Amino acid sequence: MIYFEKRENISAKLKIVIPIVSLLIGILFGALAIVVVGINPYAVYKSLFVNAFGSWYAFSETLVAATPLMLITAGLILVFKMGIWNIGAYGQYIMGAILSSYFAIFMPPEISKPLMLILMFAGGAIGGAIWAVIPAIFKVFWEVNEVITTLLLNYIALYVLKFLMYGPWKNPKSFGFPLSKPFPSSAQLPVLFEHTRINLGLAFALISIIAVWFIIKKTNFGYEVRVIGNNPTTAKYAGISVGKNIIIAMAISGALAGIAGMVQVSGIIHFLQVKINANYGYTSIIVAWISYLNPALCLLSSVLFGGLESGGYSIQISMRVSYGIVGLIESIALFSIVGAQIFLNYKLRWKK
Amino acid sequence: MSASHHTTIIILLLSNAIKAGTILLFPTIGEIFAERVGILNLGVEGMMLIGAFFGFIVTRLTNNPYLGFIAGVLAGGIASLIHAFISITLRGNQIVSGLALTIFGAGFTTFYGQRWINMNLSASFENLKLPVLSNIPVVGSILFNQDIIVYFSYILAFVMWFILYKTMIGINLRAVGENAKAANAMGINVYRVRYIWTFFGGLMAGAGGAYLTIGYAPFWLDGITAGRGWIAIALVIFAMWDPLKAVVGAYLFGSINALQFQLQATGTTIPSAILNMLPYLVTFIAIVLTSIIVKAKHIRPPKELGIPYSREEK
Repeated sequence: MIYFEKRENISAKLKIVIPIVSLLIGILFGALAIVVVGINPYAVYKSLFVNAFGSWYAFSETLVAATPLMLITAGLILVFKMGIWNIGAYGQYIMGAILSSYFAIFMPPEISKPLMLILMFAGGAIGGAIWAVIPAIFKVFWEVNEVITTLLLNYIALYVLKFLMYGPWKNPKSFGFPLSKPFPSSAQLPVLFEHTRINLGLAFALISIIAVWFIIKKTNFGYEVRVIGNNPTTAKYAGISVGKNIIIAMAISGALAGIAGMVQVSGIIHFLQVKINANYGYTSIIVAWISYLNPALCLLSSVLFGGLESGGYSIQISMRVSYGIVGLIESIALFSIVGAQIFLNYKLRWKK
Repeated sequence: MSASHHTTIIILLLSNAIKAGTILLFPTIGEIFAERVGILNLGVEGMMLIGAFFGFIVTRLTNNPYLGFIAGVLAGGIASLIHAFISITLRGNQIVSGLALTIFGAGFTTFYGQRWINMNLSASFENLKLPVLSNIPVVGSILFNQDIIVYFSYILAFVMWFILYKTMIGINLRAVGENAKAANAMGINVYRVRYIWTFFGGLMAGAGGAYLTIGYAPFWLDGITAGRGWIAIALVIFAMWDPLKAVVGAYLFGSINALQFQLQATGTTIPSAILNMLPYLVTFIAIVLTSIIVKAKHIRPPKELGIPYSREEK
């Protein structure tokens, strides 16, 4: 019979090996899935890689996709460390995009660029934070399961966006397409590198990762977050206000997701529409988990998954391979990493 | 309009509400049992998509909706085994594994569903008027002029309620979810019980998905389940882990679905985005209210929900 034997201490080597092997398993199963539909997986992966890392421009697009992943994941790390399951980054991202777009669409375009961008940034942060604080309050005061409420709020946010895009915010000159009027140049985040779409949002993302690292390691709040994550009951007896900390952490997490939404509409799309890549909200959960909730590793994983998203988008156009392949690879990698956690603490043994 | 005309519309509406509710009833009952043995499976949405997809394809290829339904049920069950293996054998985090299953179901069906998009089914379940019962005024035409799958769901809800509360199987499975160590001491094989009921949850999610594409919306679209899996998970709390209460919840939410389609069909001035938002908004409110009631009444989820069990560790 096979059984698990507890290790003396956590294997550090495995900690590095597991995420890499998990990703490889995801890629391997992805290849199998591609073979089944009669396409050469080598050609697909080669094209995906070239479109993600093969040139400066390709890599710049990878960084464009990595930016929202970094922002959202930074926030998720904070709440996941507490054992609070914010699955609502998708909706928080949308609400951030909506509230920041409000300024771009309705403020007089003459106002100065810095003021406009500050308003939009604040709008993004507040929109996302509100959408995260609502389920946090229900969680703290009435023990309403946050997994379900944050998830339902994703759908509600999506339909708020659809309502605005098909109704009051639709550009009358968009030939019936559900698009807002284009943002004035004052509402567009400055590009950091010429001939790319990398914009100031990348700086926001890097700062947010450093900030979350600092919060967790160096502040009293971060200390309390870790204590609550280890054992909420102990935390309560130690005099930590668990509820207050949950609400603050959720607000930060929601704000970062909302800023990611702001960065996407202000830095990349330059108008509001229904498709604003809110799925980054779900991908970020995978990124957070594959990084062991470690801010430094989250930087690396975000770039990797940014490449997968951006390369996956390219092969959909160039090779007509469904974008579903990205979800398949990501989910199998996630299965592998969750399943493999046990090998950090246990050894596989064989007993007759 | 005459009174009888109104009655016809209401009967049609409620009869559709039952159908829409059936899509939710199967996965809700399945998840109730998975949670009762301590396994939280957030992959319902993904398993429903997989069931919907295989149900659709097999029906399309064989022109036999019953074969399609069975295929969808089994596909959902097989998908659940990934989650079972990770959360039971490997003791992985159930929340993350379940989310992975949902992402997997969406990715899998988007990838393989590409060539089936917007295709229709010509074969569906036929309504079967039950003798005597269908003659009951109003109620008869709503409840007893349905297809076999709906009748099956009536029986299933009752049988599962009976198993859960009135049989040894039910006592044992509840023991596993409440206190796995004690259950093990009683001689119950915790792993086996958890595998069986997680698998059952998968079969049921597959059934809900297959009923959606074969019996309710006979075409294929990416993400056709549109969050119904999450509503089912919310309904588990709404039903307070009781299969019979799940019936009430499922039909209530089925009515919202049916009403939403009826209003859209008759050309209302309410924007369709608002109508489409309705089920999620109502579920949100319902889940908040139920949670408050559950807390006040000291009803709680199975005690060891989401907690892995290890026989080796004492």
